[in-house]
Amino acid sequence: MAATAAFEFQDDAAAPVLALSGDWTVDTIAAQEAELRAIAERLKPGAVVDVGQLGRMDVAGAYLVDRTFRESAIGEERIAVRGQHDNAKQLLIAARKAAVEPAEKPHHEGGLNGFLDRVGRVMASIGEEIIQTVGFFGEALVVMARLITNPRRLRWTSIVHVMEAAGLNALPIVALLAFFIGMVVAYLGARILGDFGASVFTVELVVFSMLREFGVVITAVLLAGRTNSAFTAEIGAMKMRQEIDAMRVMGLDPMEALVVPRIIAMLIMTPILTFGAMMAGIFGGVLVAWGELGVSPQMFFARVSEVVPAQHFWVGMSKAPAFAIVLAVIGCRQGLAVGGDVGSLGRRVTSSVVQAIFMVILLDALFALWFLELDL
Amino acid sequence: MSEDIAIRVRGLVTRFGKQTVHDGLDLDVRRGEIIGVVGPSGTGKSVLLREIVGLDPPTEGEISFPYHEAQGREPRLGVMFQDGALFSNLTVLENVEAPLREHTHLSAKLRSEIAGLKLSMAGLGPEAHFKKPSQISGGMRKRAAVARALSLDPELLFLDEPTAGLDPISAENFDRMTEELAHSLGLTVFLVTHDLDTLHAICDRVAVLYQGKVAAIGTIPEIVAGAEGWVKEYFSGPRGRAAVRATGG
Repeated sequence: MAATAAFEFQDDAAAPVLALSGDWTVDTIAAQEAELRAIAERLKPGAVVDVGQLGRMDVAGAYLVDRTFRESAIGEERIAVRGQHDNAKQLLIAARKAAVEPAEKPHHEGGLNGFLDRVGRVMASIGEEIIQTVGFFGEALVVMARLITNPRRLRWTSIVHVMEAAGLNALPIVALLAFFIGMVVAYLGARILGDFGASVFTVELVVFSMLREFGVVITAVLLAGRTNSAFTAEIGAMKMRQEIDAMRVMGLDPMEALVVPRIIAMLIMTPILTFGAMMAGIFGGVLVAWGELGVSPQMFFARVSEVVPAQHFWVGMSKAPAFAIVLAVIGCRQGLAVGGDVGSLGRRVTSSVVQAIFMVILLDALFALWFLELDL
Repeated sequence: MSEDIAIRVRGLVTRFGKQTVHDGLDLDVRRGEIIGVVGPSGTGKSVLLREIVGLDPPTEGEISFPYHEAQGREPRLGVMFQDGALFSNLTVLENVEAPLREHTHLSAKLRSEIAGLKLSMAGLGPEAHFKKPSQISGGMRKRAAVARALSLDPELLFLDEPTAGLDPISAENFDRMTEELAHSLGLTVFLVTHDLDTLHAICDRVAVLYQGKVAAIGTIPEIVAGAEGWVKEYFSGPRGRAAVRATGG
């Protein structure tokens, strides 16, 4: 293994001698830095480096010796070397030749000013994001309208591919989650409504909430995490590897080839997934009602058809296409906004998921107001 | 003279599924030389490099470092990948510092000074230190990548297509830098390239990979003298001839 670096300094004679021994390499010099600094002031012109006992040396070791000499009274004068060594002299020359003044680190505003500066930038970029996303949304709608009037230009292969990857493959996880939520809601109902002796209303609670809200919102939030991030990462990676540029110069519109197929696939699959989520959630509720309250499935469904009008189902389903468009548009737009570096890919995937979930919840709230006003 | 062999490859076989890339390849790289590895696309030049540095295991065969193993240690390797492979979320200086930060206990000041020194050896001044890789040109990225490969003072330097994508003047400067570094630091350089000018200008020896084996190895005049088949075509095509003329080879 490497021998530790060491040196001996004799300054009794007229010419001080710095005798190096052991290995002076990047692994071994750390300990010598302070010790060399201690003798720097005793170096004076005429000093000699003795490399006779020196083991291996590399650029880092040579640099450290060279720096010690440069910072001493000797200054820029060439280092006198004594003794035989393979490459020490060469390395000392190479290190001197390439030595540079350390550059000033670029200044970053700190403290309150820096904080306000950052807040301002973030606010401005949020405004810009909104404008750009709305613009992209409009553009996507126009291209989609154009393609629907000319359906032969639609790319069915890629639509079906996205339907499978983003839609069908999400069905098990969407159904499982909805199933658990349905159970939780049923438990809550059994517990709280039971206190009022109204536990039979658990049926309404589960079915209303699943049909109107939970089915579609669980689906949309899950797709935001699962599918949006995939859209952004796929398109973003294509952007980084200049595949998007290649499409453009071939006269292929990325909007037509990448964005619209994803929007259409989501438009078809989100309602199907929502339906699956509703059914799975209600199934969870049925199980809890059966086990906890002794309401048999037959009684459960008899009560459902008696007290739950079909409009609640349609209220829930009607939100699915709206969420689908919003998710696909945000995912694709963030992907196309990826820049050249890995950091921007990470930031864009994050904003894609965050924006998508935010928009789903916001839209859901707006829908709730809207349906309330319409008395549905 | 096994002490003078830096890299020894014996009976190397590489297969990807049914496709055989290397078929019993033997190669000796001498210590302190710049060896250029050429061959048609798909003959496994980059794969050979990856196997020597230990990124991919060979299907069969042996790779050893006789000179360093005789001294009871592993050689230190520095690799420059084709596109630089700089960490894009670090600045140029931080990229060069990264190996030092991981493997040594140097003070922060000494570490950044050594990183600056390596960048300056590779021809990048302080103005580039705090830029991100995406903010500098392709040529500068390659220089920064060499500086990073050099940061731990390797004995063996591997360069994968170092001059690909550079303009002729930058490529020439880059070649000169490689040669100067190799000689002043006593490096052994393993250079995968398609650039005939690089081969003529700086390589001590050239190894031609063809059909899974080293088809020819030696100085360029030696290879040209005994050339046949693909090797002949490669060195005596119009581009090959022009490069030979230009360097008086």
